[in-house]
Amino acid sequence: MAYRLRDVLKVRAAEGAEFRLAVPQLDIERGDKIALVGPSGCGKSTLLDMLALVLSPSKATVFDLFTEDAKPQDIALYWRKRRRDVLSTIRKHYIGYVLQTGGLLPFISVRDNIRLSLRLAPRAGWDTMKFVVEELGISRHLDKLPGALSVGERQRVAIARALVHRPSIVIADEPTASLDPCNASRTMRLFVRLTEELNLTLVIASHDADVVRELGLRELEHSFRTSENENVVVSEFKG
Amino acid sequence: MKGGPRKGRELPTVVWLAVRDYLHEWQMSVCFILALAAILAPMMVLFGLKFGIVTSMVDRLVQDPRNREVRPVGSGHFGPDWFEEMRARGDVAFVAPKTRSLAATINLYKPDDVGPSKIVNAELIPSGPGDPMLHPDAPKPQKIGEVIVSDSVARKLDATRGEIIDGSVTRVFRGARERVHLPLQVVGVAAPGAFSRDGAFASVALLDAVEDYRDGRAVTETGWPGEEPYAGERWYPGFRLFARSIYDVAGLADTLQERMGIEVRTRNADIEIVQSLDRNLSIVFWVVALVALVGFSLSLGASLWANVDRKRRELSVLRLIGVRTGGIIWFPVMQALLTGIFGWLLAGLIYLSVESALNHMFSGNMAIGESICRLLPEHYLGALYLTLASCVVASMLGGFKVSKIEPSEGMREY
Repeated sequence: MAYRLRDVLKVRAAEGAEFRLAVPQLDIERGDKIALVGPSGCGKSTLLDMLALVLSPSKATVFDLFTEDAKPQDIALYWRKRRRDVLSTIRKHYIGYVLQTGGLLPFISVRDNIRLSLRLAPRAGWDTMKFVVEELGISRHLDKLPGALSVGERQRVAIARALVHRPSIVIADEPTASLDPCNASRTMRLFVRLTEELNLTLVIASHDADVVRELGLRELEHSFRTSENENVVVSEFKG
Repeated sequence: MKGGPRKGRELPTVVWLAVRDYLHEWQMSVCFILALAAILAPMMVLFGLKFGIVTSMVDRLVQDPRNREVRPVGSGHFGPDWFEEMRARGDVAFVAPKTRSLAATINLYKPDDVGPSKIVNAELIPSGPGDPMLHPDAPKPQKIGEVIVSDSVARKLDATRGEIIDGSVTRVFRGARERVHLPLQVVGVAAPGAFSRDGAFASVALLDAVEDYRDGRAVTETGWPGEEPYAGERWYPGFRLFARSIYDVAGLADTLQERMGIEVRTRNADIEIVQSLDRNLSIVFWVVALVALVGFSLSLGASLWANVDRKRRELSVLRLIGVRTGGIIWFPVMQALLTGIFGWLLAGLIYLSVESALNHMFSGNMAIGESICRLLPEHYLGALYLTLASCVVASMLGGFKVSKIEPSEGMREY
């Protein structure tokens, strides 16, 4: 088990209307490869941020994250008690996050950017770094600054940083959306294969249902509904 | 999981990142450093001038022992107990009894002169070990036959150290004019500033003997004839008294005047002028320094605040990969400290070049070893301490803003 969520709700007000992201029930097993597929604005990023412990749920009956020793961490409780430092520590050790673009520090080299998560959470050895860097084909860029790389190369560096300290869970928000289609599917395939080889749990947001099916990811059920008073939009993920 | 999560090296990592960012944005950093040095260097020069001028003035006061002298006005009546009491005081460096000034003279000449020798009528100055007017390492007149002649006497007699000169005293005794001679060894020549007239620093015994002889008494030590020698306790009309330091003068003078009823004169007015100059210059300096440092703190604080805004995305990425609030605060603080250290180094270099230029320009007005502008090592450290303190205060503002950054904000470009 990696995540167990029951009745998790995030409410957001936008232009007079209210947007509700509802997760009545979500169970993610260790090693699962989960995909959130849906149109933009359906709350994929919101759910990912909650799973990455960077966004607090408005309401959560159960929000447990299971670390490698299968000990459940009551995330809902930490949020209620404002234990942000505990959440930071869990995030540092157990979660890797790949953003849609960027997220690299412009003032340190590619090598230092990748090593950053390893410095903060020295869990894996250097062999993981070597393996990941070689698999992603960015060995020759290690000494450059991120600014000298193409968008695609930068995304692969971001993927390397999210994997190199061998977190339990990797969360990726449309990691290849800013790449050209050919490059995108190759990078996506590489990314998913690496998470399999490192035996990580993967939660990925994508708008491309074909790629998700082709890579054998488990797609969460998603539905939109408008509640009785028209002003409230409810987006629901289940699985 | 194997062994649980090892301790993350969060603080060193954030410090390292702050340094890398500081170097990466070197143009910006140089601007901060220049801004600090532009404020700090003139302040150091100002303080250096104040310290240099006041120190030179104090040194001059301290070096000239006349500033420590407490002189009685008129004549009094001082016995052995009084001198004993004064010698025992911690604030007294030297005290010697003075005989009647009319009786305290002696005629000096150099006997090996060819032809009519030049005779110099010299004042006798009671001296002895510890006399501040004489060089501390030079021998002092301790025996009745030893003198240190003043510079003018030495020139007139062409006398040098180690020579024997003749001292003679005359009196009118029972209607007849008499003269006695005493060979005197010149144990030293006083510095020109020590006594400006014709004079001889002598042991109290010599002054006693000369006075007794003039009073018509016989003097046993020298074999001078006369009525029966002086016996019993000696009382003197005056004294030579020097305080331990210039700061003891006022207190000592007060004691003598208030408690003992002895009216005295000192050069305390000069000392007070220097002390009040020091106080007033210090006030001026600290007012200027306070205004400058507060201004600098505010400007640095505003820049750091703006910098945190500019780096919002990078800082939120750090929060995303697990840096805690307590760690991320070190980012602006570390950068402010770097500005402080480099700004201080630059200001120190500017100061040192200004200092040597000023000292060179004013070298004509200063004695050897004096400088118009100088700082001690502790002043440099004090400047560093103040600078770093105001940098840390300034970075509090940025640190507060940083602590509000949520990992979820600024991560995405909308």
